[in-house]
Amino acid sequence: MTRSRTPAPRNSRSRKKSARASRPWLGWLVKLGLVGLVLFAGLMVYLDAVVQEKFSGKRWTVPAKVYARPLELFAGLKLTREDFLTELQALGYRRTPKVQGPGELLVSGNQVELHTRGFQFYDGAEQAQRLRVRFSGNQVAGLSQAGGGALAVARLEPLLIGGLYPAHNEDRILIQLDQVPPYLLETLVAVEDREFYNHFGVSPKSIARAMWVNTTSGALVQGGSTLTQQLVKNFFLTNERSLTRKGTEALMAVLLELHYDKPQILEAYLNEVFLGQDGQRAIHGFGLASQYFFGQPLGELRLHQVALLVGMVKGPSYYNPRRYPERALERRNLVLDLLAELGVASAEEVARAKQAPLEVSSRGSLANTSYPAFLDMVKRQLRQDYRDEDLTEEGLRVFTSLDPILQRKAETAMADTLKRLGGRKGVDEVEAAMVVTNPQTGEVQALLGSRQPRFAGFNRALDAQRPIGSLIKPAIYLTALERPSQYTLTSWLEDEPFSIKGADGQIWQPKNYDRQAHGTIFLYQGLAQSYNLSTAKLGLELGVPDVLKTVARLGVEQDWPAYPSMLLGAGALSPMQVATMYQTLANGGFSTPLRGIRSVLTAIGEPLKGYPYEVQQRFDPGAIHLVQEAMRRVMREGTARSVYNQLPSSLTLAGKTGTSNDSRDSWFAGFGQDLLAVVWMGRDDNGKTPLTGASGALQVWTGFMRTAAPAPLDRTPPDNVTLAWIDPYSGRGADQSCVGALQMPYIRGSEPPPGTPCGVPQQLQEPVEQVMDWVRGWLEQ
Amino acid sequence: MARGLDVNKGWLVPMALLLLAGCATPVQRGSIPVVEAGRPVGAGGVAVTRAPATQPQAAPRPQPQDSGVVVMVPQGAASAPIQTFPAATSGAPISTGSTFGSAPPAGSSSVTLAADERLDGPVLALLTSAQQMERSGNLAGASASLERAQRIAPREPQVLYRLAEVRLAQGDPVQAEQLARRGLTYAGGRPALQASLWELIARSREQQGDAAGAAQARQRAKVQL
Repeated sequence: MTRSRTPAPRNSRSRKKSARASRPWLGWLVKLGLVGLVLFAGLMVYLDAVVQEKFSGKRWTVPAKVYARPLELFAGLKLTREDFLTELQALGYRRTPKVQGPGELLVSGNQVELHTRGFQFYDGAEQAQRLRVRFSGNQVAGLSQAGGGALAVARLEPLLIGGLYPAHNEDRILIQLDQVPPYLLETLVAVEDREFYNHFGVSPKSIARAMWVNTTSGALVQGGSTLTQQLVKNFFLTNERSLTRKGTEALMAVLLELHYDKPQILEAYLNEVFLGQDGQRAIHGFGLASQYFFGQPLGELRLHQVALLVGMVKGPSYYNPRRYPERALERRNLVLDLLAELGVASAEEVARAKQAPLEVSSRGSLANTSYPAFLDMVKRQLRQDYRDEDLTEEGLRVFTSLDPILQRKAETAMADTLKRLGGRKGVDEVEAAMVVTNPQTGEVQALLGSRQPRFAGFNRALDAQRPIGSLIKPAIYLTALERPSQYTLTSWLEDEPFSIKGADGQIWQPKNYDRQAHGTIFLYQGLAQSYNLSTAKLGLELGVPDVLKTVARLGVEQDWPAYPSMLLGAGALSPMQVATMYQTLANGGFSTPLRGIRSVLTAIGEPLKGYPYEVQQRFDPGAIHLVQEAMRRVMREGTARSVYNQLPSSLTLAGKTGTSNDSRDSWFAGFGQDLLAVVWMGRDDNGKTPLTGASGALQVWTGFMRTAAPAPLDRTPPDNVTLAWIDPYSGRGADQSCVGALQMPYIRGSEPPPGTPCGVPQQLQEPVEQVMDWVRGWLEQ
Repeated sequence: MARGLDVNKGWLVPMALLLLAGCATPVQRGSIPVVEAGRPVGAGGVAVTRAPATQPQAAPRPQPQDSGVVVMVPQGAASAPIQTFPAATSGAPISTGSTFGSAPPAGSSSVTLAADERLDGPVLALLTSAQQMERSGNLAGASASLERAQRIAPREPQVLYRLAEVRLAQGDPVQAEQLARRGLTYAGGRPALQASLWELIARSREQQGDAAGAAQARQRAKVQL
């Protein structure tokens, strides 16, 4: 505009000079007119190029969309009806008396009927269908197609959990005209541009009316801009309010109308219009606005929702229904009245719509939640494979393994525990992180990077490197148990004080947490009770480098120096690394790289990249089985036995507590068959905390497992493992009939010779002793 | 300029048309060469796109006996007879296996399998669709389907066996061997399946150029049978 206007006066001046001599004023007026025409033509050509370039090219860049795992339904699935309904609510399903269309649901007793929406997945399309899901107890008892037979498996559409936004933070979900709900186009035209289908880009009638209204009211209240002009303004121009801009806008609107028909312009408008601000993210287009405000796809919106969105076009911030619900409601009803007045909708429909509440999804609900820690992890994994532009502009669809239900349970367990511990001095300064995986698949299902789950900052789950304390111990015992000719779970260990001189000349003198020595113990007790003296001694026997090699084989590459102090966990790892390490222990000795991404599709649903399941066998399953046995005893009789105050005793679990020096770090890592969780608590400034592994992290872990209800650990022994009865005091072979006889797994050939049946009763432990043990177990790390 | 616009409105349209006629790049009305960055996602990404090469709904085919796929329906004793896939029911993407929806018949529970070990409805359906994709050359799709099955029944060695087969077909013998080994750890008491897994390990090792290892694995396969 300015570019083509500047030369105008200069040119006309030179023409003026030549015209003055020979022609009268009429002549140069014609010439001036001609010059004006040429200049105007030039301007039009320029504007036309601008219009076409933008409109015919890639109109919008669309950030990559990140989805949670889709809920996979089948008979036998462990899922409560309540969790299912929570997920459906997050997906924007609404209850109706009769399920007729996608996104509708009906609950009757233990049965939920719903109409899924269908979705394009990596391995094909899931069709929209009407399902009946029957619940019994904590599981899905039956799945069938409504009006049809039983179904083996069905997938819901996945929850959208975020996007990867570029610098300008514009987000949108592109829609086509055939995907809009009834009334949307009519309402939009009625409210914003009644002459839309009749004008050629600008509407003299509307302008006249606007001028009239503005003059009579004495203020600028009505714009008179057509939808085309609004689109042009948003698309090509700045927000500057001047007549020059207004003129350009009108010219470009006319040009746009010349090239493109009304539906095309309308579709562009629907995708471009700004409808709200979500922090840094600008909500553009009705497609995203529908998801953002209602948690529903646009096509499912009903009249009152359509009226609200269209009403918001006038002032998305002013009429923000979350912030100013009354204002928004008033505006919505005004729009509805207009529809009745113009005959777009019947009076009854409008009356019914006016009765409806705003129905905006509330913040903090599953539909309106951010998962900054998990998304951060996904972004980092994606950046290894894609350029930034690909992620922020190409509309990729990223399918992840996040389980929103487990994530919510992890967040709740963390918040509840911190609240309960809040009375203790120093707990307020404690930060936390948590990693939840499925050890059988290596998928990350939930991630907390802070005690505040919505906090998008330092991601402690990935980046906090903290001494792991006793979490290292399973690696020591595994190193030993890989040598069955030397060590079994019932080998004797000496838990006595000792000191050694390190290579650096320093004297190293480990101590037990309770400052006591425990004499001669079984090897498994060293791990179960987390005794430092016996464990350190065992580690030295094995050799520190061998233990560190085991840590590496478990999946964590580190460059820790082979100092004796490493045996008690002086080395630092992130919670994610700890999860990787324990994953191998939980998964039969098979190491799996932890994954957060399952697959990536292009914007049009073509498979782009899969992130396949990978395993690598690193240990003999027998040795792992034995370590799991010792870790199972950590839970049953050792430092973590407090879990069974809250969890059913039938639930077999394995785990390990960890506390670093002076309680600076409180750790717990443990697993059932299908769920592994690592919890870390500590201060960012590495200060002392009032928490041990048992009194801090274990409490969060227990709270989580109580609600997440994992499957009990499968204790089927591998082929090379045999079970033997032993005497609990001598460790010699015993008979099942002997009182107190213990059954222990051994690598075949390393078990003690079988004992003979006995009838002599052994004295049971004193009850007081048991209580003391319990207290000790809870306090010790 | 703005004032001029108001005055000239009348002739603006024909003039613009005139200008356009002389434009070097005429644009046909009605066919916008739009390259959209994103496909309309619609209902949160409804499948509005063209169908993939294979669909689970593909017409059912009779399962040949020599498909090379052993599927044991571990309903009764551990030594259940080896069966091939039951023929998929017509049209339905997912066959409703005979064991579906009901607990194993009472009396046959001499060997009780954990809920995630039973090879029934969902796993069978996913293995079937994976097999169809594999046959049509869609190995990535088959792999994704098998991983779905693996999430449902992670301890089912038959799923791992099939996944290993697909990895081998995808040219990843290292992972094929690893997955088969993982399968072996779950295949206790199922000699036929163990033999198949060792046989697969043998093929994987051959592809890795480990003839001795392959021969060893073949030996194990024989022992199991």
